[in-house]
Amino acid sequence: MTLHSTQEPLLVVSNLTLTYRATAGLTTILRDVSLSLQRGEILGVIGESGAGKSSLGNAILGLLSPDFERTTGTILFDGKPLDGNNERQWDTIRGRRISAIFQDHTASLDPLMAIGPQLEETILATKDTMSRRQARDEAIQLLTRVGIPDLDQRYHHYPHQFSGGQRQRAVIAIALAGRPDIIIADEPTSALDATVQKQILYLLRELVEETNVSIILVTHDMGVVSEITDSVIVMRHGEIVEQGPTSSLLDAPQRTYTRSLLAAVPRLRVSGAGERKERTEHLNDPPLYSGSAEPGASPILVAQGITKCFSGRRFALLRKRTQTAALQDVCVQLDRGLITGIVGESGSGKSTIGRIIAGLETAGGGKIEIDDTCFDPSRSGSRSGLLGKVQMIFQDPAMSLNPRMSISESLRESVRFGAAMAKDELSIVGTMMDRLGLARSLLPRYPHQLSGGQKQRICIARALLAGPSIIVADEPTSALDVSVQAEIVQLLKETVRERGISMLFISHDLALVQELCSSIYIFKDGRVEDAGSSEFIFTHSQNPYTRSLIDARPRRFTH
Amino acid sequence: MVTTIVGRLSQAALLLLVMSVIGFVGIHSVGNPVYNIVNIETATAADIRNATIALGLDQPLWRQYLLFMGNVVTGNFGTSYIYHLPAFDLVMSKLPATLELASMAMLIAAPCGTLLGLLAGRRQGCAIDRAILKASVFALSIPSFWLSMVLILVGAITLGWFPSGGRGPTVSLVGQEWSFLTLEGLRRLTLPALALAIPNIALIARLARAGTIEVESQDFVRFCRAKGLSARRILFRHTLPNISIPIVTIVGMQFGGMLAFAVVVETIFAWPGIGKLLIDSIQLLDRPVVMATLTFVSLAFVGLNALVDLLYAVLDPRVRLST
Repeated sequence: MTLHSTQEPLLVVSNLTLTYRATAGLTTILRDVSLSLQRGEILGVIGESGAGKSSLGNAILGLLSPDFERTTGTILFDGKPLDGNNERQWDTIRGRRISAIFQDHTASLDPLMAIGPQLEETILATKDTMSRRQARDEAIQLLTRVGIPDLDQRYHHYPHQFSGGQRQRAVIAIALAGRPDIIIADEPTSALDATVQKQILYLLRELVEETNVSIILVTHDMGVVSEITDSVIVMRHGEIVEQGPTSSLLDAPQRTYTRSLLAAVPRLRVSGAGERKERTEHLNDPPLYSGSAEPGASPILVAQGITKCFSGRRFALLRKRTQTAALQDVCVQLDRGLITGIVGESGSGKSTIGRIIAGLETAGGGKIEIDDTCFDPSRSGSRSGLLGKVQMIFQDPAMSLNPRMSISESLRESVRFGAAMAKDELSIVGTMMDRLGLARSLLPRYPHQLSGGQKQRICIARALLAGPSIIVADEPTSALDVSVQAEIVQLLKETVRERGISMLFISHDLALVQELCSSIYIFKDGRVEDAGSSEFIFTHSQNPYTRSLIDARPRRFTH
Repeated sequence: MVTTIVGRLSQAALLLLVMSVIGFVGIHSVGNPVYNIVNIETATAADIRNATIALGLDQPLWRQYLLFMGNVVTGNFGTSYIYHLPAFDLVMSKLPATLELASMAMLIAAPCGTLLGLLAGRRQGCAIDRAILKASVFALSIPSFWLSMVLILVGAITLGWFPSGGRGPTVSLVGQEWSFLTLEGLRRLTLPALALAIPNIALIARLARAGTIEVESQDFVRFCRAKGLSARRILFRHTLPNISIPIVTIVGMQFGGMLAFAVVVETIFAWPGIGKLLIDSIQLLDRPVVMATLTFVSLAFVGLNALVDLLYAVLDPRVRLST
């Protein structure tokens, strides 16, 4: 915003260094960080997890836990220094001058208080002279502004009765309640699916233009940065790598790290609308994708009519036993030796079908055929012949390795009880480590001594060592840093190609799925919304939901 | 809803059945009540036999049980061997005393425990938190007879503020006699209520502390701070409701326990409640009264559980509004 550049900046952080006191000793979280924020500016702070970007936001909000210590540096807000420990000063600033939006909209709201009153109490807390009536009127105005309809009824609805996007809208309304000068938005759209994400980002942009509020947008997603920010700070290991206006930084990144971040963003290739074939041409196709790359090759796995209900906890007299349908009559096929993708927003049932196929969960009904062996997924005992044949790679490698077992023990266990049943465990484990580019010296270590990328490689090794014919990978890269993601994706690709393993790849990231998968299923609300070959989905599919997902991708990263 | 109620009722019926078998066999194996009823010094063998037949104790156990159950179905628990009053009426006559003692104890324990727990949880690791934790371990581990005696020693003997035992004068309210409406009655209620309350304060405080620590680490509390609410408002308006469900559960269970099993405290303070009646009846082998008491206790637990479930729905909109 060149318009404001002549003004005094609203917020100036200079030479901020933060240390964290853990049992293991002092860790430097931020080193010599300086930035300035103009009124009405949206500043993106981007970096991988652990880059210190959230701590920077918390420091500006005065919400650092007491284990943090500001060793050097100052934060000047509106010309006055912010002192980390002065709670009295913070009471006049938090909510009134600087407020926040957090990533998890479900966790940000008190589940036991209705949405309207939560906003009302914020208004009352930040404006001393307001009556309850006025606060209520203002709350209704704000909720209308952020786009929550039917307020006559919905004012007294509780958070769980709203959708994710509406909850985040309510959170934004609450953040705006005190008419702040700055909003710290920490990953405000990461928990939302692509379509809603775009709406929320545009709402933020509009609010900036209307109220001249400034936003510090903390994110790991280059797409978000490219969409609405005016300027960007790239952070790594607590230091600022590069900063500048968004357009010039994205067009001509100066530093290698920035370039690698940009390169690591999976890009979606979409042909122009003119190239879309007419829908009639596809009437001949089977309704769900059933072919494979080579005609004649039979699918390795066919799951038909899978249903699954989760029943609510039965602990209240007044409560009916609630049944939530997680999957309704879902049919999925896995092509032999290829990667099949499942895409959907959270809650669409995409992980549930993966877990049912891997045998980690029982289904309500349906049947699954693996390699012409049919079994009943609703009975947990019916898969005994399949031991080790289907393996799983989970999202968070830190949580899927037993912290009390060394890497060697974890891997050997997989060899011992998997389908391979090999004798010479150690040499097999070693060979696998070599193949996956892992040093054998990692074997005696424990999971916490490894990096995220190493841990996910170990998880892949563990899955492969069991000798599977199918691997279910549930968001295997989303807990990893952007630069590591690309390596893991490459590794998965090679694994499939070299070993002839078939893979079910579950993700919310369309671009990643396009890069990896030969055929794709799009899940929505526990059903298969759209299915077909990768080419069909991205160029020809007329399904409105599929189109909206593709259109919601940031333009800059769509080709 | 109907299925839930039917399920609840059938659970209750099963519970009562199992309890009655265990209680009946248990009290039978303790000894023969005839020797407590006839005068051992003067009774002849014929007297004893006649008494045995009169009480129905000559029958095999299974028949005695069936007879008992048959009577229970018609609402008759038999007549107390000792007091010669209908057994269930006898239990009910002790109910006001027990109810006011247990209620008073819980009225002290629940707010004190919750407040201490909130305070300790908010100040986790500080001196006050450590003090509350240590005190709670102490309060939970001392035996209640010792606690009762210390309370008598301090409150009744050293300070002389409160009487050492017995129930005060009563006032009639809704057909029952209550002592908490008179000043003397309240004074006599204080020490036994404290004796029952102190371990419960500790229990509830620990629970509330754990809940507070868990809830305050959640994002919505951080968001409440970010949106500018005062620490006090966050604690009482957001944290407290969110920790209330486990607290309500434990209050319900402990209250049920106090109705029946405040035996030690009621005995030491000579409080004429149900616990004391139960222990006296067991000692005198007064079978009908023991069975009537156990039945009442089971019913009370079933009722309290249902009440706790209803409170869940009041406290948590996610329970109330799910369809």
